[in-house]
Amino acid sequence: MVAQVERKRLTAGLTVTQKVFVRSRNGGATKIVREHYLRDDIPCLSKLCNLCPSIMKPDAKGEFQKFTLSDTPLKLANGGHHYLVLDTNIVLHAIDLVENVHGFFDVLVPQTVLEEVRNRSVPIYTRLRALCKSDDKRFVVFHNEFSEDTYVAREANESINDRNDRAIRRTCSWFQKHLNDNSPQLSVNIIFLCNDNDNRAKAITEGIDARTLAEYVEALPNADELRDLVPTDSSELQRVNEIAYPEYYSTARLMGGIKNGTLYQGIVNISSYNFLEGAVNVPSFKKPLLLLGRERLNRAFNGDSVVVELLPKSQWREPSSQIIEESAVEANDTPEDEEELKISDQERRLLAQDAMVSHKTQPTDEVASRIQPTAKVVGIIRRSWRFYVGQIAPTSVSENSGSAPSNCFVILMDKCLPKIRIRTRKAPELLGKRIVVAIDSWPSTSKFPEGHFVRSLGDVESAEAETEALLLEHDVEYRPFSKNVLDCLPSEGHDWKVPTDLDGDEFIKKRKDLRAKLVCSIDPPNCQDIDDALHAQLLPNGNYEVGVHIADVTHFVKAGTALDAEGASRGTSVYLVDKRIDMLPMLLGTDLCSLNPYVERFAFSVIWELDSDANIVKVDFMKSIIKSREAFSYEKAQLRIDDESNQDDLTKGMRILLQLSRKLKQKRLDAGALNLASPEVKVHMDSETSDPAEVEIKKQLATNSLVEEFMLLANISVARKNFDAFPQTAMLRRHANPPATNFENLNDMLRVRKGMAVSLESSKALADSLDRCEDPADPYFNTLLRIMATRCMMAAEYFSSGSYGYPEFRHYGLAVDIYTHFTSPIRRYCDVVAHRQLAAAIGYEPLDLSHRDKGKMETVCKNINRRHRNAQFAGRASIEYYVGQVMKNNESTQLGYAIRVFSNGIVVLVPKFGIEGLIKLESLGDINSARFDEENYSLTFTDHTGAERTIAVFDQVEVDIKSVLDEVTSKRKAELFLK
Amino acid sequence: MSNIEFYSAEGLRMDGRRWNELRRFECRTNTHPSSSDGSSYVEQGNSKVICLVNGPMEPENRSQLSTQKATLEVNLNIASFSTTERKKRLKSEKRTQELITTLERTFEQAIVTKIYPRTLISINIHVLSQDGGLLASCTNAVTLALIDAGIAMYDYISAVSAGLFDTTPLLDLNALEENVMSTLTVGIVGKSEKLALLLLEDKVPLDRLESILAISIAGSHRIRDIMDKEVRRHGKVRLSKSSS
Ligand SMILES: [Zn+2]
Repeated sequence: MVAQVERKRLTAGLTVTQKVFVRSRNGGATKIVREHYLRDDIPCLSKLCNLCPSIMKPDAKGEFQKFTLSDTPLKLANGGHHYLVLDTNIVLHAIDLVENVHGFFDVLVPQTVLEEVRNRSVPIYTRLRALCKSDDKRFVVFHNEFSEDTYVAREANESINDRNDRAIRRTCSWFQKHLNDNSPQLSVNIIFLCNDNDNRAKAITEGIDARTLAEYVEALPNADELRDLVPTDSSELQRVNEIAYPEYYSTARLMGGIKNGTLYQGIVNISSYNFLEGAVNVPSFKKPLLLLGRERLNRAFNGDSVVVELLPKSQWREPSSQIIEESAVEANDTPEDEEELKISDQERRLLAQDAMVSHKTQPTDEVASRIQPTAKVVGIIRRSWRFYVGQIAPTSVSENSGSAPSNCFVILMDKCLPKIRIRTRKAPELLGKRIVVAIDSWPSTSKFPEGHFVRSLGDVESAEAETEALLLEHDVEYRPFSKNVLDCLPSEGHDWKVPTDLDGDEFIKKRKDLRAKLVCSIDPPNCQDIDDALHAQLLPNGNYEVGVHIADVTHFVKAGTALDAEGASRGTSVYLVDKRIDMLPMLLGTDLCSLNPYVERFAFSVIWELDSDANIVKVDFMKSIIKSREAFSYEKAQLRIDDESNQDDLTKGMRILLQLSRKLKQKRLDAGALNLASPEVKVHMDSETSDPAEVEIKKQLATNSLVEEFMLLANISVARKNFDAFPQTAMLRRHANPPATNFENLNDMLRVRKGMAVSLESSKALADSLDRCEDPADPYFNTLLRIMATRCMMAAEYFSSGSYGYPEFRHYGLAVDIYTHFTSPIRRYCDVVAHRQLAAAIGYEPLDLSHRDKGKMETVCKNINRRHRNAQFAGRASIEYYVGQVMKNNESTQLGYAIRVFSNGIVVLVPKFGIEGLIKLESLGDINSARFDEENYSLTFTDHTGAERTIAVFDQVEVDIKSVLDEVTSKRKAELFLK
Repeated sequence: MSNIEFYSAEGLRMDGRRWNELRRFECRTNTHPSSSDGSSYVEQGNSKVICLVNGPMEPENRSQLSTQKATLEVNLNIASFSTTERKKRLKSEKRTQELITTLERTFEQAIVTKIYPRTLISINIHVLSQDGGLLASCTNAVTLALIDAGIAMYDYISAVSAGLFDTTPLLDLNALEENVMSTLTVGIVGKSEKLALLLLEDKVPLDRLESILAISIAGSHRIRDIMDKEVRRHGKVRLSKSSS
């Protein structure tokens, strides 16, 4: 619809007009009218301008905007001194280049571009906004949509895109004229960067100096440095069509289809065993929809939000029982060639009903129950593209290329992703390096996505490059803390002390003096960040007083500071084998907020009165001052408790804690708490060479569980209190019940192979049935089953209490109705929020607005959930890398278990090192001899000695572990070979 | 709605205003002379309100009247087409009642009720279009209609809404802004800084309240001036009619 052009003058510099547009939502069209004010006081922000300083208006704090654009901008040989105006497509496709510190200064971002970027990609918008804040890049936003001089109304029959292009061109011309008129000192040229040929041509006719990105970069003095970073423009590439992917549907068709139930939206999940098989979870279907083959996946990346269409029933399949990796698939090999079938929307709806029904009824036929509906991708809602780490495929580099740019492939470390085609002059020198690439586009005529080189991390297999690659791959912020973050720390630094005057201010008066309590901490050996400590004593009435004291991090990390923002964005500390990436600066983590022994520290305390059965009689929360008497390691604490000759009060307190913790644990298990297992291993580093030396499984002592039980109790008590005080925004943690379908496969394997079953009726039933699954011949079988069951569970997640109903707060694994994280504020941001909410709930200090706002809390939860997941993956990847390094010198034969069987290979888990690996049929024996018995989860083949062997799921196997450098991904991994 | 910058780093709001700027404010009095004793029409941005006042008059049911002062009766009719999405009827009923009570209390203090004992003053408000600041627009419309009806008041009551975005106070919120921030509506007596009305939806940190109050008082004064101009303009028209 066309905007009305009627304008009304309000005051001297303010005019109002109406923006009219039609919004279609839920099928109906709604006419929306919004006011739009135009003004004459929007400054150009050029230091050269003589006019604009006089039209400025102050903000609410009485401050004026800074004039940012340089008075001596860069001079080009062909173009003179210039300011840049960026078109939307340049920002979206070349943000890395625009951010480069060696080019792109004095840039003007029209509001129209800013808004278009925000609509297309919020992450890029955030980066663009960050550029506008940084002092050295000199980026400014010019609000052309609100300026009387540059606002353009949409004309009849003009598309929104055309109108926006026109608005951007108008801004360019106005700026040129404005500078000509008001800056007599120096003539500055406005250069408009635009890669859209049509728009650029129009700009040139209108007298604007418009250039493509490539043209501009060529004109720069340091073009050599920047040239490779220019994204490939798919329209410029002349390439034989290797493949034609189906075109995506139009937006209107996608939206219509989703609404009338013929299309479905979801997130693509690529199988980690087969990069050509994806699955999309759609709420209306019990089982995920399968996407099989390149064409059905239709350029979707792992994690993309896509729209899919169901395929006819004749094409529904079982999930593939094959392992396929990118390297194994030849270029001209396109699996799944089926002719396109035309079906109507009517039929599609019937099909969908079919698909739903087929999941509800339990067919007796085994195969039918495994059949899954298949679908194909017909549109992409949002790409998950980010920076990727990989290395150039040596075979794709031609030797005689010289310095001319040539195409080559980059193989990504993430095996679920296809290789990326980049164009670079530096290919020969980048061979054997870990490099960072960005993806620009994936046209339908190109078999592989197009990208460009960003930077090199260093040699493959060098510890620095591998660690940085791992952090980048898991999106972990690892740069040192910036100055304005460090500025938020106490100025006394390590000399900070608890004030001696306890009547000093209103806050310290509210603190309870608990220095007389016999507090101690129990942690792993050499623990540097002690965030919890405990005490216990017998009360005159026969009950016990037990206190959990947590480092008072929020005394130092105040809401709204740069320090808080950094912590919120990092979300969690990340633990790698040889490195810890802190959420908060070291000064806090290892000193001021570490409850070190013999010194006074601020703490947040939870103090219970417990009866002799560990029932809570009373609970109190308070900010406090404590003085820890001793820092024990788990082993030292155990020794002290066990030694009967110790009859001092501190040891007696520890015995009380141990005794109560056993009761707490028993109660938890009785309520149905799960005792799941995951192979947790620890890599020992050689202290001299800091090379990884050996691997061991982590041990559990009674004192581990002592601390754990009280932390759980504190978390639960705090969760209740915070939910009570902030029913809409309390920061909580939930663990959903696992859907029965997650266990179908495991249960079927159990039934077929062992004649056992696990029950899913409740967490109690699951816990009990897991206990019953014992194989007398194999004591490890129960642990193996627990490891496999853990993988069928849902992930626990942080949420704000307004997002779910109370019954859904439940933590399945712990079998409690409500839970949060409170006990590790140094290394988890959830705990920081919980601390602030608890402080407000007990009236210590008012709660910051951001923790009382539902929307903001949801954003925080979403981020910390993602960060938490990434941190776990990064930690695992780090272990995997180091286990590979250890195995270099420690090749050995170990006992393993087959946990999955495919038609062309088996997956084996080696408990001793917590590693699992795929053994392909080729290395097992004769490929042609293999018989795959799907019903019985077994694979029969003739091995290299000529003997026939059968391996089934849960079977014990002997394997050789060797350290192998993967040719394709250049990842060193421990690889398994069947003995 | 996250695709909007509600308050940009450059200090501009989503509709182009700065932090302390009012929306377009237009008003007319004596719009329905035949059907009421006093009437007005107020447009505050895209919020549009009509107010009709009848009285002081003898009511049908005398038993509920006070012998000391006039009784006020406020009716608020929100047209179903006044928002873009016609829904949430149930929720709005409670809210309508809250608005009515607030208006009754405010104007019981503003009208010199003691000179009209045993009478009823009936105020009917029709909301034609809503775009934020509903209570403020209603208050301004009632003030104008009461003046038009010639009912004695101590002074103008002019009202405006304001909110807090992060740490910046914003004046005269439109509907989209109202959705994302805590909103405060104040009504000011004449040119003073006396509050005749204060309604806070959601919470505002105490230390920020002062800055919000300050801009709302300044905004209300500007609205009073515009209403005063309209009253004087209309007065002149009437005078010229009666004298001719
Ligand atoms: Zn200027």
